[in-house]
Amino acid sequence: MSISPVKIWRNQKKIANILNKTGKIISYSQVYVPPSGFENEAPYPIVLVEFIDKKRFLAQLTDWKSINLKIGQKVQAVLRKTRSAGTEGVIPYGIKFKPII
Amino acid sequence: MKVAVLGASTSKFGELWSLSPRVLLKEVVTEALNSSHLKLGEIDAIFVGNMLSGILGGQEHLGAFVAEELGVTIPAFKIEGACASGGLAVHAGVTSILSTLYKKVLVVGIEKMTDHKPEDTTSALMGAGSDEERTSGATFPSLYALIARAHMEKYGTTEEQMAQVSVKNHYHASLNGKAQFTFPITVDQVLKSPLIASPLKLLDCSPVSDGAAAIVLSSENEITQKIKPVWITASALATDTLGLAQRKDLTSLSSAQKAAQKAYKQSGLKPEDIDVAEVHDCFSIAEIIAMEDLGFFPRGLAAKNIALGKTRLGNKLVVNTSGGLKASGHPVGATGVKQIVEITNQLRGVAGKKQVKDAQIGLTHNVGGTGATAVIHILRN
Repeated sequence: MSISPVKIWRNQKKIANILNKTGKIISYSQVYVPPSGFENEAPYPIVLVEFIDKKRFLAQLTDWKSINLKIGQKVQAVLRKTRSAGTEGVIPYGIKFKPII
Repeated sequence: MKVAVLGASTSKFGELWSLSPRVLLKEVVTEALNSSHLKLGEIDAIFVGNMLSGILGGQEHLGAFVAEELGVTIPAFKIEGACASGGLAVHAGVTSILSTLYKKVLVVGIEKMTDHKPEDTTSALMGAGSDEERTSGATFPSLYALIARAHMEKYGTTEEQMAQVSVKNHYHASLNGKAQFTFPITVDQVLKSPLIASPLKLLDCSPVSDGAAAIVLSSENEITQKIKPVWITASALATDTLGLAQRKDLTSLSSAQKAAQKAYKQSGLKPEDIDVAEVHDCFSIAEIIAMEDLGFFPRGLAAKNIALGKTRLGNKLVVNTSGGLKASGHPVGATGVKQIVEITNQLRGVAGKKQVKDAQIGLTHNVGGTGATAVIHILRN
């Protein structure tokens, strides 16, 4: 499905609320059969993270090693390209998590 | 509540590349009407359960599509609630009769999924999730994998126990000529099948399927001597957040628990009264959680009991005699209607080799997304 540049622009505003927050992985999975737009990245890990304020967020794990893919791993929210650009040519950026010590 | 199921029919489920939605529709509606001893002209309205006709097939306006194909001009509705679309359509049909506006209605569930490449079907199904989940590249197998991992962490559920769900459901499907997979499998085959979203493997997952199912519902006052009705004694649903991140607990579906509590209250029945159940095993972990949400086993003990064969044919409570979504197939909009067809056949004693002896009371459990919608029906003789 094509990406709406308007939707990307609107969702950018939400990213600032999550960026740099830290939390812990409470569940994870590695995706081997991806949806459209993510074919070049599979397999990739998705992680459900609980922040210190108990709010939760789901995103991919990036800059990781196999030792990091575990429940309890500390992570930080960072800005990354989230999927291939669609026919509109707009590169979508969003939240991913990177492991921290 | 007094709404009767008169006729019930399901098509073969599977990769039906030679059959169009129109052909599937005609087949199940004709058979459902014949088994009701009714003519199409006696039907007041049509409810169509479907999720993906627009995004995959380019065909919305499905109520009118079905009416056109059947050659009628009566009221017709598309009901959408992701993988619970079929169950929602049954609920809409039941409430329309209870309103007394309609006396006899047709409920059809239909989905055509195998005409498209897997990435497109996977993306389309993600329409049932949240924006955050789509942005992350999550898929439904991976969302249920997050649930599975949490259940494993909390209760010690194992991959072998999850595999036992698929083994049981394939055994039941081997007795069902209309199932997508009519062959048995072993735990070892499940564990060695390719990873889809760790820890879930191919044989933990329900397949992509085509298929249709139809039932005819009637008000109590319209029943004739020609047919023995099966009564819908409860029709209940509940909703929850679209996304998993907004939930407090990953190890149960609160919508299913709430809908089940309502259904038991409506019918005056308890979990131990149920003889046969069709539950939403879109993934092996989902059947384990369903058993706990429906009150059939205490929290954390369902996996062990399923692995011991307690819900297999020949026991007091038998689950997914059709083969469930895993082995009978999961054409998403058709599934909730097919569950009613299977329970109706069981209660009438016409379920063939997979017949549960003396089945009197049956339950269906149909879930949309990761539990954002759950629909429970209880049926009895």
